[in-house]
Amino acid sequence: MPPGSPRRRSTSTASTNFELPNVGTGRPVHRLGIIATVATFGGLLFGYDTGVVNGALEPLSEDFGLTALSEGLVVASLMVGAAFGAVFGGRVADAWGRRRTILLLACVFIIGTLGCVLAPGPEFLIGARFVLGIAVGGASATVPVYLGEIAPSEKRGSYVTRNELMIVGGQLAAFVINAVIFNFFGHVDSIWRWMLLVALVPAIALLVGMIFQPESPRWLISQGRTEEALAVLKQVRSPERAEAEIDEVTHLAAEDAKEATGGFSDLGTRWVLRLVIVGAGLGFFQQLTGINSVMYYGTQLLTSAGLDSGVAIIGNIANGVFSLAGISLGMYLLNKLPRRVMFLTGYALIAVFHTLIALTAVIVPPGPAQAWTVLAFLVLFVFSMQGTVGPLTWLMLSEIFPMKIRSFAMGICVFVLWIMNAIVAQFFPPLIEALGMTATFGMFAGLAVIAFVFLALMLPETKDKDLAEFEREFKAEYGRR
Amino acid sequence: MSVAVAVTDSPEGRLALESAVAEAQKLGTGLLLINLTLHDFAEAEAPSGLEVTVINRSGRGDRDPVTAVIDELNEHSEVDRLVLGVRARSRVGKLILGSVAQRIILRSPVPVLTVRRDATRR
Repeated sequence: MPPGSPRRRSTSTASTNFELPNVGTGRPVHRLGIIATVATFGGLLFGYDTGVVNGALEPLSEDFGLTALSEGLVVASLMVGAAFGAVFGGRVADAWGRRRTILLLACVFIIGTLGCVLAPGPEFLIGARFVLGIAVGGASATVPVYLGEIAPSEKRGSYVTRNELMIVGGQLAAFVINAVIFNFFGHVDSIWRWMLLVALVPAIALLVGMIFQPESPRWLISQGRTEEALAVLKQVRSPERAEAEIDEVTHLAAEDAKEATGGFSDLGTRWVLRLVIVGAGLGFFQQLTGINSVMYYGTQLLTSAGLDSGVAIIGNIANGVFSLAGISLGMYLLNKLPRRVMFLTGYALIAVFHTLIALTAVIVPPGPAQAWTVLAFLVLFVFSMQGTVGPLTWLMLSEIFPMKIRSFAMGICVFVLWIMNAIVAQFFPPLIEALGMTATFGMFAGLAVIAFVFLALMLPETKDKDLAEFEREFKAEYGRR
Repeated sequence: MSVAVAVTDSPEGRLALESAVAEAQKLGTGLLLINLTLHDFAEAEAPSGLEVTVINRSGRGDRDPVTAVIDELNEHSEVDRLVLGVRARSRVGKLILGSVAQRIILRSPVPVLTVRRDATRR
């Protein structure tokens, strides 16, 4: 899945009112580096656990005698868990603290992984994947917040980006590790259990590592624990900067509290409802691009197009590579192009490549030639999706809502996104089996066209506008008069 | 003595504010402006010509606008009436969102003066 990190950006990230001394050098910077490395194991796990079925699924399916429908369920149960983890993870992190929540999530990662590895049958596996999903969703909601809160304001963006790269990197790592394990030890019984077991390493690293990391200063201040917050800041900033930053952090903590103001009844305000519909639409269509059908079922697709499993699992690595390359480009483009242009170009490209995949399955006869052609278009789809719609959806969600309803509105959109992710994961294998590749990808192409029209009609431009200005304009246009 | 007004993000909200200002001026009292919209009222946006206290809705405790209003009314014992804008909602609208105005009227500790946009006589 494209980086699942609701970037909770405060409206006042730029410390315009706060003249701060330099972060400093040496020890504090080194310490921050360690914190970022440890916390982004959360992102890595997110990527690995979602990507690992791509490759593990075939031996697993043989072992348990799964049908297309139950294969879908095994994969999708993780996303359903993630939907709940993402929505409630933030609440837990607000109540218990970021550090303790991440520690708890690391334990859930470990328990969930062991549950999957030792699953005696498919039902148990589905349950264990659900539990693992809670950790995945929880990590997607808390790790970026923790990173954003502990990083100095001028580096906030790059720390959060680093987590997003780790997510996609985690998927790529899963693809590579699966290919290696399958090609060298493919003859071993239940080899998929070993593929899943690998996730235990980063999970333990996250658990052990986080024990030694400090709590977020912003959360401590929100709890009135200013002394402790200062002590933490002194570990990760120069002494002068730490003292100076307390005021900024206090201000940001107060702003954060405001984000939870709005709720259900505010949807009665027409322009707010419209924004939430746009946001939910962004999550809905992002998943209906089918990006995750490639990320979860890429190996299977290549096998059914005519490759041997050993080759398909290697070919699938290309999907991971292009995904990582795409997201790197996308992160760069975010600051260059207007949002609407980038979204519409993205969905247009997606529709084109889906159409080409659908046509390939008709025109090129099944066999290696078809499989390689499909792979070529698949990676182009993955690259253009991750270069545009993937990261842009998350950025847009973080900047279209009025500050006071952000928490509630983001919750809705992220939930919709994960549930759509689950639906695609659940129904992709049965669709391919029943309708074939042409119809399935033809359908994705059609959905991309619908997304294009929806966004062309509904999506407001937000680039280079400050939130207050954007709200005024939007309200003037769509509010009740 | 003081007049309170609940201002929502709608034409009714703006009408309620106008009426409340007129009411407070007639009675020669101050105005407690309970802002239920999603943006904080700046000094300049508050009505001039009378003593206004602005209360912005803020934090999870104020998520339900009804609770936000009732809490303020209980806290400000000088308030002896509340001005509220109302409008007819469709049945579906009521079913999905409920009626904030109705709940405020039923729970308010002080008499409520409701104003409607299509009232024939002001």
